[in-house]
Amino acid sequence: MTADNGAATAGAAPVTGPAAGTGVIHDLGYQHYDGPRLGRAAIIRALYWHSLRSAFGIGRGAKAKIVPILAFGLMCLPAIANAVAVATSSGHARIVDYDTYTYPLRTLVMLIFVAAQAPELVSRDLRSHVLPLYYSRPLRRHDYPLAKYTAFTVACLLLVEIPLIILYLGTIISVSGGSAVWGQTRALIPGLGVAALWAVLLAAIGLVLASFTGRRAYATGLIAIYFFLTWILAKLLVGIAQNGAAPGPGGLVAGVPLGARLPGLISPFTVVDGVRQWLGGTNPGPIPNPGSAGVAYGLMFVLLLGVSLGGLAARYRKVGAS
Amino acid sequence: MFGDQARVIASITIRATMGRKRALLFAIPPLILVLVTVLLKLAHPHDPSWPSQIVGIFGFTVVLPLTALIIGTSVVGAEVDEGSIVHLLATPVPRSVVIWSKYVVAAVLTAAFAAVPELLAGLIATGGLTKLTVGLFAGALAGSVMYNAVFVMISVLTTRAIAYGLAYVVVWEGLVGNFVSGARLLSVGQYSLGVANAIAHDGTALNASLSLGTSAVMGAIVTAAAIVIAVRALSAFSLKGDAI
Amino acid sequence: MRNVSRWYGNVVAVNDITVTIGPGVTGLLGPNGAGKSTLMHMIAGFLAPSRGELTVGGTPSWRNPGIYRTLGLVPERDSVYAFLTGAEFVTASARLHKLPDPGAAARRAIEMVEMTGAQDRKISTYSKGMRQRIRVAGSLVHDPEVLLLDEPFNGMDPRQRLHMMDLLHGLGEQGRTILFSSHILEEVERVSGTIQVMVAGRLAASGDFRAIRRLMTTRPHVFLVRTSDDRGLGATLIGRPAVTGVELTDHGLSVRASDYGTFSREIAVLTRDQGIRLRELLPEDESLESVFAYLIDTDGPRAR
Repeated sequence: MTADNGAATAGAAPVTGPAAGTGVIHDLGYQHYDGPRLGRAAIIRALYWHSLRSAFGIGRGAKAKIVPILAFGLMCLPAIANAVAVATSSGHARIVDYDTYTYPLRTLVMLIFVAAQAPELVSRDLRSHVLPLYYSRPLRRHDYPLAKYTAFTVACLLLVEIPLIILYLGTIISVSGGSAVWGQTRALIPGLGVAALWAVLLAAIGLVLASFTGRRAYATGLIAIYFFLTWILAKLLVGIAQNGAAPGPGGLVAGVPLGARLPGLISPFTVVDGVRQWLGGTNPGPIPNPGSAGVAYGLMFVLLLGVSLGGLAARYRKVGAS
Repeated sequence: MFGDQARVIASITIRATMGRKRALLFAIPPLILVLVTVLLKLAHPHDPSWPSQIVGIFGFTVVLPLTALIIGTSVVGAEVDEGSIVHLLATPVPRSVVIWSKYVVAAVLTAAFAAVPELLAGLIATGGLTKLTVGLFAGALAGSVMYNAVFVMISVLTTRAIAYGLAYVVVWEGLVGNFVSGARLLSVGQYSLGVANAIAHDGTALNASLSLGTSAVMGAIVTAAAIVIAVRALSAFSLKGDAI
Repeated sequence: MRNVSRWYGNVVAVNDITVTIGPGVTGLLGPNGAGKSTLMHMIAGFLAPSRGELTVGGTPSWRNPGIYRTLGLVPERDSVYAFLTGAEFVTASARLHKLPDPGAAARRAIEMVEMTGAQDRKISTYSKGMRQRIRVAGSLVHDPEVLLLDEPFNGMDPRQRLHMMDLLHGLGEQGRTILFSSHILEEVERVSGTIQVMVAGRLAASGDFRAIRRLMTTRPHVFLVRTSDDRGLGATLIGRPAVTGVELTDHGLSVRASDYGTFSREIAVLTRDQGIRLRELLPEDESLESVFAYLIDTDGPRAR
């Protein structure tokens, strides 16, 4: 365990000055604590809670809550709109699917949320140089990034899963019959799973990019640029490949060319969608069905996740004074 | 206009901008642009509009504004952040000269790091000095001038300039501009595309919706307004006290 | 300045200050958070007063870049272009001031702060004290009549501090108006005679600090007296109304006097009458530290 600082021993009487050649430790009244101490797990838990709260701006001023609240509100809009639509058309029309969930909106909101909030968790500590303080407590090297990653993943999970739950409940209210409810439930589960993939991957990438710099503005810029650039590029490349595909009889595209199935690999948003389709999701998404290249998407997901987490662990293995 | 004071400021600004780690950051998007263009050229896609899409849309929606953002916010923002701008301001240099010098540096650097790669990518993609290539280059130059005015202004007005600039590029120009046609009137990206399109005449592929006239006029207004606002804001630059 | 106040929302940083600062060296004294920096920034034209008028040499400094021809500011924050060399930085400053011979002016300024040896190294290699000095050089290069320094002795070692004090003193003697702020009393004590004391945004005292001290007759003064017969003198003194306390210590007789004037008159008479030889009479607490402490302890503005 850590050494005690501010130690006082049974103090001698203070302030008369030491006799020649001897020293005296003054009893300044520091309380000596001998009781039970919480261990490593408690530290990690505390770090986790604190980070989770930071991700939503809780415990900071009002300004820090703007982005999280806005993001959450925007994310829930389709769910609410869907509930209204279903209610007014007696259970028939459905705007939003569970597994794709208004893909462009989710992409944009997650982009903003991760770019804005990942620095709050990670860059702040770097800027104020508190890492040596953290690490001088009974905390192992990997505990800090573990706590941060867990917290941020949970934060992202809340952001993606809760709207799905709202979507589900909103639909359930308006449909009748056990089989309809069961149908909804069966559609919900994979949707929750896909959303979880989003959270897990984006949190990792966001944190590792943010850990490069202590300046929150730069970190936000770095993350946003990475997400934005890769996403637009992927979409454009897919579009180009599909536009140029030789039309089959009747003007329909004969098959999806390889050139349209691969560009999705460069952007995390489309990678997740590729995995979804590889695992059997049929709803249309931003990229066409990868087909045989689906494995590549699975691999890419694992690769991106692994590199990000590894980078995070490496980043925090050594902490200097800065 | 290019008096000695302006030269001092400009040289300090250039050295400051190029010397930071950030120099890497604004070199990356144009690098990717050229790389992707080369790879696509080698892959011979069937889609004839691919140069317009990559060099045009990707270049103008992503590469140009983001490069301009990083450069434009760092010419003023970094010094404000560090506090070294006081050394510039505690002199009788007119505030307009300060803004003007930094703005010119930003525009020139953006032209070098975004417009020139655009030209290069255009040459590679279309194989020569086609209308598209020239148009895109002109549009990128116009974009360098216009974007940096806006970003310099934002940097003077707030310390969180990168965040607001990103919100403008990603949310306003990217998302809103795609759905709300009125928003395109207030989008520097659209002005740049308008200029490009006037030469290239490839409107649908480029997703350009404004005419040259509209683009030029609106662009000029936005640029001038941004500079004026920036100068006024800098004249009222405040240093916060110690405990506050 | 007249009735100058500055607030941020609910927090009043500077509260109704009226004062005129003239040539020579003036120390602005006060604990951290007293509003010293806020006041200096307002004087320097980098912050607008929420209320009141503030002029430098007759013209307001806010939104007035021309004022910097006669004004120099060395802010507290240690920010400077780290990639420039010392000489480049000061020369750039000179050029921005449109001086006719920037190089010569820069060299002079650098000499004044004794940085000639290091001027060709990059500022990023300087120690904190060196950075401080080069910033002072940068603000001196245009020969300003008014020089404002916010916590200039921060981070300086004793030798550098002494040198800076001499420099400021010399500049003050030349007739310039030097205002510097500090919360460290010995600094202010040594360099300036005139002080302005700020406490919680208000001006608590102005003037020569000894004079201020003397004006505060409500507080007892403490003297250390060494004589040939401390105990005997002590016994006599305790009988005097001007004396509120007497203590025998290893170093002599410590006397608390409530009335400085009366006591100093009486001590001479008493010692002569009793045949005690007076060896030493020292005010024990007439340092800026005690002045400061007394002012902080009490509320409201004191003598002006």
